[in-house]
Amino acid sequence: MVTALELAESVLKRLEGRFDDVAVLVRQRDYVMVKLWNTEPSVTQSWIDAKVSVLVSKDGRVFSTELSVSDPDAVDNALRNVGEILAKLEPSEIYAPLPEPAEFKPLEGLVDQNVLKAMEEPGKYVEVMIDAALKEGAERVAGTLVFGRMTKALATNKGFRGMEEGTEVEAYLRAFKGEFSGHWAHGSRVLDVNALREVGRRAGMYATITNSKAEFTPGKYDVILSPLVVGNLIDTIGWMASAMAVMMGFSMFMKVKPGDKVGSEAVTIIDAPRDTELAESTAFDDEGVPTKDKPIIKNGVLVNILHNTGTAKKMGTESTGNAGWLFPTPWNLHVAPGNVKSEEELISELKNGVIITNNWYTRLQNYVEGIFSTVSRDAALLVKNGEIVGHLGRIRIADRFTNLLSNWELATKETHKIRWWEVETPTKAPYALIRQVNLTKPFI
Amino acid sequence: MTSLDEGLLQWAVDKALEAGASYAEARYQRDVTSGVILRNARTVGVGSEVREGIGIRVIVNGSLGFAATNTLTREGVERAVMAAITRARATASLRKTPIEFSDERVGRASYEVAVKRPLGDLTAETLTELGKRLTETINSSVKEVKVPAVMFQAGTRLQEKLVINSDGAVIHSVVPRVTAFINFVLAHPQKGTLQRTIEKEASGGAELIDSWRLEDVVSEEVRNLEKVFLEGVEPPKEPVDVVVGSEVVGLLVHESAGHPMEADRILGREAAQAGESFVKPDMIGKYRIGTEYATVIEDPTIPGSNGYYLFDDEGVPARPRYLYKEGIIYEPLHNRHTAKLMGTSSNAAARAMDYASEPIIRMSNTYLKPGDMSFEELIEDIKLGVFIKSYMEWNIDDMRWNQRYVGLEAYMIRNGELAEPVRNPVLEITTKGFYSNIVGVDKHLRFYPGTCGKGEPPQGVPVWFGGPDVRLAKIRLGVIA
Repeated sequence: MVTALELAESVLKRLEGRFDDVAVLVRQRDYVMVKLWNTEPSVTQSWIDAKVSVLVSKDGRVFSTELSVSDPDAVDNALRNVGEILAKLEPSEIYAPLPEPAEFKPLEGLVDQNVLKAMEEPGKYVEVMIDAALKEGAERVAGTLVFGRMTKALATNKGFRGMEEGTEVEAYLRAFKGEFSGHWAHGSRVLDVNALREVGRRAGMYATITNSKAEFTPGKYDVILSPLVVGNLIDTIGWMASAMAVMMGFSMFMKVKPGDKVGSEAVTIIDAPRDTELAESTAFDDEGVPTKDKPIIKNGVLVNILHNTGTAKKMGTESTGNAGWLFPTPWNLHVAPGNVKSEEELISELKNGVIITNNWYTRLQNYVEGIFSTVSRDAALLVKNGEIVGHLGRIRIADRFTNLLSNWELATKETHKIRWWEVETPTKAPYALIRQVNLTKPFI
Repeated sequence: MTSLDEGLLQWAVDKALEAGASYAEARYQRDVTSGVILRNARTVGVGSEVREGIGIRVIVNGSLGFAATNTLTREGVERAVMAAITRARATASLRKTPIEFSDERVGRASYEVAVKRPLGDLTAETLTELGKRLTETINSSVKEVKVPAVMFQAGTRLQEKLVINSDGAVIHSVVPRVTAFINFVLAHPQKGTLQRTIEKEASGGAELIDSWRLEDVVSEEVRNLEKVFLEGVEPPKEPVDVVVGSEVVGLLVHESAGHPMEADRILGREAAQAGESFVKPDMIGKYRIGTEYATVIEDPTIPGSNGYYLFDDEGVPARPRYLYKEGIIYEPLHNRHTAKLMGTSSNAAARAMDYASEPIIRMSNTYLKPGDMSFEELIEDIKLGVFIKSYMEWNIDDMRWNQRYVGLEAYMIRNGELAEPVRNPVLEITTKGFYSNIVGVDKHLRFYPGTCGKGEPPQGVPVWFGGPDVRLAKIRLGVIA
């Protein structure tokens, strides 16, 4: 079997004489997912496949394609008419030549042999999660556990060659007791059985944290957001930090520039491709530019918009190592921790307000203004005098991202590694306390 | 004529049965997309994607396994078959009850959507020219505001499927689609910005692009939205009659009738992510959710629709389904698994996004049944009300009960006529609150496209949702904070 890099080189060889720029990116994966329903597996899914992505340009005209094939001749065949297509187009507004290769520092420890072993016996790790939730008093659980191995290789006609192999664990569990539920998630490159147990324990803990219900009146509340909620909202903010989102009118950063204040001093958000604990860690981006950790927002000030070479040229700056050929994106996100020692202490600081432990369906009325809403799920809890007094049911945060960032006050010292459906970018996030957040619920 | 030899799929099914599967299914799927992206009338990207491979599904020892590969050789397919079987077997001991499928009449069929003009007519050059014209139209339609960003994306999608299973189904289908997406931002120094996205998608050929009259559509929208932006007032604070436009109604029935009537949600299979449903099995055929106007239909067989299919990915023939009928919760969407669990037959709702996705219960084309009134008749006796024509922000909770739609183009209704524009009215309402307050529907059934997300890993499938304009009695609207 050919390696991913051999496949990339083989495709490159067939194309490089015909274009000014050629980049070939190969991704090979072997993944398994166990999905749980009513405390038992509903399906076990496996993916063993490869994807070849090719970027070519001629006289500033750019074409990219993605093919789910492993045969270099098939790629060549699929691209045989591209020269003619390009000749009829205008140059791309964001064209920049592929960069000359720079030396990159490989990342160590991306493969955990325990993950590879676990792929053949996922059942026993599923049981760890289930048992931990049931031990907390949950009646039933649903969720998924993923183990996988991904190899990525990049070859460009400028001479860049790079290959990385990494493993991944992604787990989330939802625990139910009566009408209440709790949820937790975890994402990493390594198998940590305690982390899987913690997924079950926290899901079970939130499902059983109180049997009481509390009345809710729409209005402004001080809120604690769990790392899942912080992760979901920061995911959207990280996406909007892409230069292409800014250029296309899909970003709250369209109205500001690096150096402008966009939040309170407590807010620091970092793009962290070199954090090898998180699953999108990588030493080089899709153009072969070495990656680096850098702040998007530091102490409330916008520091970096994320670039590939094309968007960087258009905006008169340097690539930040976040290609995406068309759309630069963050790799992994860190939300900086605060000084609060524990979740209990954060609740004491809140004193009166609401804890939202999970959310979904974040949608925007206007990206430029950052006007959005998102719906709570699982435990949304009313706190009075520092005590949890009951579940509020499903409520909604309906506010502006600018308000959330400005009113961000405190965070826990500990962060959690989160990845699930609603947190697509692997994220390390703390619990955060945000003042005066607008919460709503239907009138009828 | 299929792109893959049927024999390889049959071989995969036989191999799985030999290895101990009690059910086996092999689905070849090829999705070819191509398109362009422009920003402010300048080309940003031109590209294509081909996803081609085989998805294998087996039941072994009462456990369901799925594996996907794009190595289309016997060696590659065998590896996928064995991965599906061994990994399903490895978790079989955790199952308390075996997974079984309902018995269905399946057979051999082949169908293809006929096109007037081939997809190939929509070249990158043609689509780029269209994007430039549309951007020019947007820029020339505004009077006072600036247009800092226009994004245009358009392309074609060709989907081919060949499904073979151990119960005898052999279903081949070819469905072409055309898609267009426009985003624009209007900006004013004092008023800030207003954003609108417009999406078109349907099954058919290149002829669709002209039929959408995109230049007329964006020209009218931009002119109307500039007025809303500059002159829009807050909606009334007291409860008023609200007319919900078909664009909002379509999304609303998708979210609050389609999703809660998916049997896998009702039974809890999607509980971890997509969520469950306020609908419980004992409510089916009995529970009143709304007035007699609350009839919601799900129909994959609508010609030219975005969610078009005649057989689902388990080989079951498709037909219209009445989710809510005259206000009563009526018929959930089933695949063969949920049908078995609920003692009924599948109504052909199993769809897979691509070869690498397991078939799960999905919507196709969901709409509220229209009436026979004109729009003018619908609003003629409203003294004070609000008409919400379009939206941007929306969401709904995981039980499909508590939902929110924020209007974009909206108007006051005064004495039976549309009056001044309204800015960002918020319809935040429960499912029962909406359906039980419908007091009238007009005759204008319109459909809107969407990509519906569900499943683990996430699968996005093309759908339509639609309805007429709907009148609600005495609703309190919110405003953006």
